Formats: sequence, C-alpha cells, structure tokens
Amino acid sequence: MSVIQRLKEYSKVIFNESVKEWKDSGGNVVGYSCVTTPPEILLAADILPYRIRALGNPNTEMADACLARFNCSFARSCLQLGLDGTYDFLDGIVETNGCDHLRGMFENWQYNRPLKFFHYLKVPHQTNDDALKYYIGELLLYKQAVEAHFEVEITEDRLERAFEMEEKVSAVLRETYEIRRDENPRISGEEALCFYLLSTAMHPQKFLLFAGEALEEVKSRAPLEYRARIMLCGAATDEIDLLSEIEGLGGLIVSDALCFGSRAFFTTPVRVDDRIEILARRVLDGILCPRMYEEFPKRLNFILDEVESAKVDGVILVCNKFCDLHGVDNVQIRLSLEERGIPALQLEKDYGSGADVGRIRTRVQAFLERIESRIR
Amino acid sequence: MEAGIVLEKGGLFDRVSRLFAVIDSLPDELSDEEVKGLTFVLPPDARSSIEAMLIPRLREGSLAFMRMLSSWLKKAQETAESGGKTILVPFCFPPELVHAFDGAFPVTSEVLSTLGVVALEGRGERYYDMALGLGLPDYICSANAVEVGSMLGSDDFKPQGIISAAAGSCNINAKTHEILAFYHRIPMFVLEKPVDNSERGKEQYRKNYSRLVGELEEFIGEELTEEKLRRTCEKVNRANELLAELWDLHKAIPDPVPNLFSLFTYGVRFSMWGTDEAIECMNVLVDVSKRRLKEGAYPAREELARCLLTYTSYYFDLAGMFNWTEERGYTYLGDGLDLIFPVMIDTSSRDSMLDGMAEQSWNMPMTRQVGGESMSMCWLEDILWAAKELKADCAIYSGHHSCKQTWSVVSILRKELMKRAEIPLLVLQGDSWLSRTTPITAVQKEILDFIGNVVAQKKKGKRKIRKRLSSTAEFNA
Repeated sequence: MSVIQRLKEYSKVIFNESVKEWKDSGGNVVGYSCVTTPPEILLAADILPYRIRALGNPNTEMADACLARFNCSFARSCLQLGLDGTYDFLDGIVETNGCDHLRGMFENWQYNRPLKFFHYLKVPHQTNDDALKYYIGELLLYKQAVEAHFEVEITEDRLERAFEMEEKVSAVLRETYEIRRDENPRISGEEALCFYLLSTAMHPQKFLLFAGEALEEVKSRAPLEYRARIMLCGAATDEIDLLSEIEGLGGLIVSDALCFGSRAFFTTPVRVDDRIEILARRVLDGILCPRMYEEFPKRLNFILDEVESAKVDGVILVCNKFCDLHGVDNVQIRLSLEERGIPALQLEKDYGSGADVGRIRTRVQAFLERIESRIR
Repeated sequence: MEAGIVLEKGGLFDRVSRLFAVIDSLPDELSDEEVKGLTFVLPPDARSSIEAMLIPRLREGSLAFMRMLSSWLKKAQETAESGGKTILVPFCFPPELVHAFDGAFPVTSEVLSTLGVVALEGRGERYYDMALGLGLPDYICSANAVEVGSMLGSDDFKPQGIISAAAGSCNINAKTHEILAFYHRIPMFVLEKPVDNSERGKEQYRKNYSRLVGELEEFIGEELTEEKLRRTCEKVNRANELLAELWDLHKAIPDPVPNLFSLFTYGVRFSMWGTDEAIECMNVLVDVSKRRLKEGAYPAREELARCLLTYTSYYFDLAGMFNWTEERGYTYLGDGLDLIFPVMIDTSSRDSMLDGMAEQSWNMPMTRQVGGESMSMCWLEDILWAAKELKADCAIYSGHHSCKQTWSVVSILRKELMKRAEIPLLVLQGDSWLSRTTPITAVQKEILDFIGNVVAQKKKGKRKIRKRLSSTAEFNA
C-alpha cells in the first residue's frame, strides 16, 4: 500500500491507531469542533487536541431524540457519535459558539453523556479592539480551565513548543495546498482533505513524519487529469466521499475555503510579544467564517484571490441542509461571483446521506458542462 | 403568478401602510354593523384577521393597537420623506434608542412581516417566495423573510440603515439582515450579544451598546443628548409600569386578559416603546383587562387550562389560534416574546440611562434566552419562572421550524420542565408566519388532544393505583 493510500485509510477512522496509542500511554485527549479553538493550549498541557468530525456518518437516530430534524445533519451526526460511545475516548470537550446548531449539539452532548472536562470558549462575532480584548480574556480562562482540571502548568516554554509544532503542521498543510493549486496538480482535493483530517487527529510530531513521507510520494507522481479546476467553499465538509464524487466526475478541487481545510491554517499569525494575543489575533483576523457578521468582503476577497491564483474555472458553494450561516452567505458569494463572470454552483445537501449522491452527481455534472461550454 | 402583479401592487411596507391609513378615519366606537361593512371591503385573508380582532370583547383593545401601528407606519414614512433615517431593527432590539433621536425612526422587521401575514391578501407569502427566488434557502426564518423578501424582490420602501442585534443569539436573523444590507448597500450596525452571563459578558455588552450609540450618532448626524434620552426613558418607564400591571392581571384566575392581547403587548414593545403612542395603547390594554377582571368576564364557561407558550405563536390565523383557544377555556398566558423583563431606567444621568437601556436590551426575548450562556438553561429558567408566576398548567412549544436554537434544546426543556415543575410540554411543528406549512386545524387538534389527555388528567390529580391482592388473599376474601 502506498503512503497516500495509508494516509487515506487512516483518515477514515475516528478512533485511529495513533489516538489509541496516545491513550494507551496514559495521555489525555480533548475534543473541539471549531477552528476558533486554538489547539496550542491543549498541546502545551500535553493533551492531544482532537477535532470532532463525523466523516460522513449518516446515522442520527440517537441524536434525533435530542436535536431536531431542523438541525444541521453534521451537528446531528457528530452528536450521534458522542452519544453512541464512539467518542468515549475523549477526556473532555471545548465548546465554542461556532453556530446555533453546534451550540445545541454541545448542550445535548453534555446533558446526556457528560464528559469530565467541559469548557465553553466564547468567541466574538466581531473583530474590533473590544472584541479582541474580550477574546484574549476568554483564551486565558480556557488556559486556566485546562490547567486546573488536568493539574498542569502551561508555562511560556511549553506554549512556545506548542506554537512551533502547530506552525510546522500549518506549513506542511500549506505546502500540500500549494502542490494542489499548481498548474499541474499532483494531489487531489480528496487527498488534501485527508491530510487536514489527519493533522487534527494525531499528535503533530507523528503527523509531520507521516505527512512528510506522503508529500515525497505525491511530488514524484504524474500530474492528475481533470475537466475543470474547482474551488470548494462552504460549510463543515469532512466527507471524503463527497470530494471523491466531485473529482470522479472530472472536477478537480484545486482550492477551498472550508473550515475542514484552508480556513483552519491559511492565516499566518501576527507576531506580538504575548502568545495568547497571537492566538487571539490569528482567529479574529484570519477567520473566514460567515459567523463573522462584518467580514463578508474579507471572505469574498479570499475566494477571488484563490480563483485567480489557482486558476479556478468554477466555484462550488456547498452547504448542509439547515445551515443558516452558509445557506445565506453562499447566496451573497454566488451573486458576487456571477457579477464578475465566475461560474458558481450553490449545492445544498444532506450531510453524509447516500440518498443524496445521485442528485449531487447530476448537479455537479451539469455545472462542469456549463464550465466546459465557457472554456470551449 | 406574473411578476407584474406584485410590482403593480407594491411591496409589503407600502401596501400595509395604505391599508392601515384607513384605521385613522374610523370612529372610536365601532358598531357591529360598521365592523361588518368594514370587513366587507377587505380581501378574504385580511378580513379574517380583522374580524378576529374586532369581535366585541377585543374591539377596544384592537382599535387602540391598530391606531398605534398606523401611527408607526406613518411616522416611518414621514421620517424618510423629510430626509431623516429610518432604521430597520429586529424584534430583539429595543426600538426606544432610535426613538430617542429626532431624525431617525425604527421599523421592525418581524412586526412588518406579521402585518403582511395578518393584513395582506395571500398572507405575505409572495414576499417570502421572492426571498427564495433569490436563492435563499427554504429554512430561513419567515419572521424576517416575509419583510426582507419584499425589500429584496419588490420596489418597496427601503430603510436607510440596519441594526443587526441578533449577532450572538440567532444566526439566521443576523444573516438575513446582512444580506439585505449587502444587496441594497445599506449600512449595517452590529450589536453583538456575548453568550456569556458573567460580569465580563455584561461589561462587553455595555461596551458594544455604547459603541452602537456612537455609530448611530455619526450616521444620523445628531447628538443623543441627555435631554433626548430622558424624554424617551421616562416614557419607557411608564410603559414598563403598564406592562408590569398587565403581567399581574394575567395572574388572576380566570385570566381577564384576552389571549390576543399577548400579541398586542409585544407588538407595542417591538415598535413604539418610548413614545406616547405606546403608553396610550398599553393604557387601553390594561383598562380593558381591569374591567374584565372586575366583571369576572371570561370567554368560556370555565378556564380549563392555563397555557404558557414557550416561544412564538402562530400568526397566520388569529381567530384560529388566539380566539379559538380562549373560547374553549384554554388561556394563552403569553409566550416567549412576552418575556421582556422590563427594567426601570434610572434617568439621573446620560450614563445611567444608557446603562439602563443596555440592560433592557440584554433582557429582550431571544437575546436573554438563546443568546445566553446555555441556551437550554437560560430558556428553562425564564419559562419556569413565568410558569410559576402565572400558575401555568402546561406549556406549548409552537415549533417554528426555522428556530434552530430552540429546536436544538427543546428536548432538554421538556425533560426539565416535567422534572422540576411537573409541567407537561406539547411540542408542535409548524411555521409561525406561513400558513402553507401546518394547517391551523392540525395545530388545534394537537392542542385539544394534549389538553384533553394530558393536562385535564393531570389536574384530576395523581391516579390512585389499586393495591393488587395476591391470588390467595383474593380467593380467601
């Protein structure tokens, strides 16, 4: 099996071998769901940060008794895995107010199957100075809560080491993305997603070794063939199969603006003296999520820059049914892209639903033909 | 439907304003014959709403409410025509801050949507469809989408500015206002509510509120002086007293406050609080209720169930929801939007007034509950408090389908209400503003079954379980 194949297999498992080894050696694992949760604080406490995912799990029976069918199926899917014991390896969880659905997911999780450590990190929706000061205060409370519960002191040295590790991880992910957006891409969107998924479900040191090997293999391969270069934007998309479907039709994903993707690591942190402030600035200045109500121009500019530099032929704006934030934001983006003559497809889907595949395939196929008719 | 039809008839705001202009020419006391004549000229959908509001026991309060709304719509237009700034606000933002300015006037998104649903032919649904036509998803909140759809899709009245006060408490509300601002290039001012009930959170909110005041002063081009604030805050305080009085009246058994007054109360709160018109209207609602208390008036022979609605109601059929329930002896004690928690503002200085206004804003429905640190617990605490205060027998969740926050924690609310106060909760499904989702007859059937099978049985007391005798004892006996 090639390294890339191994990486893909590895990233399809929630409680993977690396996490098992960490647990077996007595290590703690804390889950979080949103890119506004800086993993450095957990790493500095020698805790493995784990980004909660559902990996396209379509079963939501237990979650549906808590959340409603009007809640996003990604949130329901994650809750299901929390309630059915899949996430029992977590020693704690950090909630953030990413969106209304995730807030509901966390409350139901903690109400029905509480974890020993639970902390609510409140993230502002604005980026002004008051918001920055408030968020710095929140990060300090988060740090104190971790220190108190896990009886560990997060010293400056430990924090610095965690910063270094995370910066290396981000650098590798950025390199992966550079290869993907190359004129002759050697890595698919599906594979790049696997890189990201693994980077948030494995200790950084292990990930760097694994990813290093995988990247070497990627660089030596022949360029991939495609019909059109696609940028994928939108909601929480950790469904490897979805990207594989799109690429199977010839739409190679050469760039993205996804929170399971570039939105998590593209921002280069501003260097100031205080490390907590660096984290706060990285999140507030760099976040490209529609939960930030005054930052639409920033989100749009990021996409426009990517369309140009990655030579994107068309943009797919994906969104899970009932996702309020992306459901509306995608309209604004679509209108703005169409105004500039950039083809855009708004693709609403049910998370992880196999029944949705045929419809998605038809819509993507039609979109690719639309793009091709322009290229011809 | 041809696009021309809509354009010809204009947008929601314009059409509702024209209809409400008629209200001013009506006499103070309408006879039954005059009501019949008035409703005869109305389109069927508007007729059913007006008929529901003008039945004899509601007529005085309804006319006062409609006059207040007529004045609200007229003043909004006059402000725009005279070069002032009309500012679109959500229901969770206390409009008195905008009323305090001479050159600005608030128009409330959800109040306009409700007026469209209640008063216009087709119940405003054509405007909702306009929003969907733009590509907006079918799960956006109709409370905003009816009005915003009209502004996006028709040649309707447009505000000059938007205050987005749901950042922190409701994603879809905040996003709907954001797209309106984007589409028409209207400046938007964000008031964020931190999901933090600690002193830090409150302090942050005060800062956010204060920043908003500065931004509005700059936008409107007018200083918000101490005198202007005091003028408004004194009126707010008076209206708050009347609100508290109405709340106390609800405690009587049977409840003398007609069911529909619940909607009127927050209709006033969300549009004209801080003005003379609000005080006038609230005075009438209180006077009518006091009179009914004295007379022992109640629409049914007996008050069978005291129901507290935990969030929104159904607004597309006023007769079918509000009047139908009270005529069967089911009192509508109020709903989540009545949970306003009025703050008496200290008018001694500019700072004290702004602090009071910020605190009031923090306490607004939705903001205080699902904008709180824990959506389920903040909501639960308020419902428990209200249920105990008003001696509720049961609670009903209307299940407005776009309300993802309440939907996501209603299972916790149901369990905890039963556990802590033995209050059963009926969970309905429907759209509070759109009649196309769940028919009112289906809602009525659910309520009938719930009250008949659950509430009535509960009121009878705990079922006695007969001690089972052993077969030998039974034989010997």
